Amino acid sequence: MPQDMPPTGGYAPVQYRRNLPARGFRPAVYVLATFGIMTYGFYRAGQGIREHNELAREKMWARIHLIPALQAEEDRDQVRRYLADRAREKELLGTETKVYNSDRFVRPTFAVTPEHVTK
Amino acid sequence: MSARQPRFTSQVLIDTTPLPDDIPKVQELGASSAPLLSASFFIGARCKAYNDDYMMCKTEANGRGEFECMKEGRKVTRCAASVIRDINEHCLAEFRSHWQCLENHNQQLWNCRPAERQLNKCVFDKLKLEKVIPDTPKGEEPVHLRKRQIFQSS
Repeated sequence: MPQDMPPTGGYAPVQYRRNLPARGFRPAVYVLATFGIMTYGFYRAGQGIREHNELAREKMWARIHLIPALQAEEDRDQVRRYLADRAREKELLGTETKVYNSDRFVRPTFAVTPEHVTK
Repeated sequence: MSARQPRFTSQVLIDTTPLPDDIPKVQELGASSAPLLSASFFIGARCKAYNDDYMMCKTEANGRGEFECMKEGRKVTRCAASVIRDINEHCLAEFRSHWQCLENHNQQLWNCRPAERQLNKCVFDKLKLEKVIPDTPKGEEPVHLRKRQIFQSS
């Protein structure tokens, strides 16, 4: 019984690869575009950070210019209360007791409740 | 430094005894935060000497600055009040539009540049006070003079 043999000249090649057109650009173009976008983004972010620093400096200096005026007002108020306390103590007890062993100004922890409601 | 004022829920209880008569009286500033912020760089421009004097006095008073620097403190308050009074006299409309803008924009200076530009121009023309931000990096436009800024909400 004769055996089947390959046809003369061999079999036709099997097509294992699809023959589709490549879509879009070369991959390197996409890589470069990504890097480009990222570089621009970082550049803008850096600019934003610098501007933010400048805005923070502006805000800080606005406050620095105001601090002496605010502090002066607060200190006057503290001295007023302190002297009023001293006068009240003198009137009630007849003495001026030194509470702290120091000359420094100490913000009082407790305040006397005034007799009449202020407002 | 500043601390919290005591707050009562039912009534206001503040000791209102005035200062004794041997301490000269001075009218307090009486401006709220937005007008003060709006005028801060002009206060700094005119009152720098008084401010520095006061802060130095406080530093060197060794904890007794509250009593010993009252004179310097009065000068500081008078100077700041004079700036606010002058701005009110000469640039009231611009001043108002700027601090109301600050009030409406979370007190962010960068949100109110158009109003600020007008105020700065008016104050510079009439009072010769210029807004300068110290320590701006060399070769960079000061942030309040830039035409385009990255941070802007409107």
